[in-house]
Amino acid sequence: MPYLPTSQAYLEQSALLLEAYPNDTRITTKYNFPSSQKPKPTEESTTPTAPIASLTLKTYNPTSGICLKYRTNKAAEVGRLITSLGKLAGGANVAALGLGNAAAAPVAQAGGDVEMTDAPEEGTGSAPAAKTEGSKGGKGKKKGGKGKR
Amino acid sequence: MAPHLGHEEFFSSLSDLLSKTSQKARGSVFLTQKPLIDTTASSENASSSSRPSILIRATDGNTNAPNPKNNKVEKKTVSKVKLSTIVAPEDLEAFYTRYAEVCKAGMTGLKKRDRKKGKAKAKAAKA
Repeated sequence: MPYLPTSQAYLEQSALLLEAYPNDTRITTKYNFPSSQKPKPTEESTTPTAPIASLTLKTYNPTSGICLKYRTNKAAEVGRLITSLGKLAGGANVAALGLGNAAAAPVAQAGGDVEMTDAPEEGTGSAPAAKTEGSKGGKGKKKGGKGKR
Repeated sequence: MAPHLGHEEFFSSLSDLLSKTSQKARGSVFLTQKPLIDTTASSENASSSSRPSILIRATDGNTNAPNPKNNKVEKKTVSKVKLSTIVAPEDLEAFYTRYAEVCKAGMTGLKKRDRKKGKAKAKAAKA
């Protein structure tokens, strides 16, 4: 379950995944508070430190087992993220997301079949992604430019 | 499962759910979006031409909900909140504009942008 470092990377990779599997890819947005709260000392009760919620976006495709995640706790990002999810739901491709990233455009155009290429800093999650790539006859081409951000 | 709600109803229920969760400062809200593929209809002619509608779900993920297999009705347990609505492809933009607004308004537990500013002001007011 790789967490992508930036929302931009997450949205790009999600767009590619949706393009590859438009019919059964789902996006889950989780808004949650930390589950365990330590009992606070009473003297600190004058400044109640409310637990900070976090927002986790997850794009998951059950067929390929690919799962992309992004987590944030900034309220400022919510509006932009949800709007982007709307674009993704409407079938926007990487270029149409308007992320202002020149590197994204060639990825989208690189051949008819969309490959889920290397998400930067994927740990365990890259293994199923790579497997699927092979099984659906992808060219296995590495996009060298992706990791440079 | 409960029938799908209209958009207005969905939004009002969702903002209610989000604000309740934010007030309690615990728990989660799960929002899911996925294309609604009509498997019952003859899929060949219908699916490929136009974009599918999007099914939006919202739930509080309450696992304390009574097991539907049990016939016993336990009054203490709060049942799981489940909301869902269907967005036609042509309504997506309008829907998501509202959706973003509702989420922004409801997710108050996240870090505010002007947190430090507010603190500074409070300090200044005290001094």
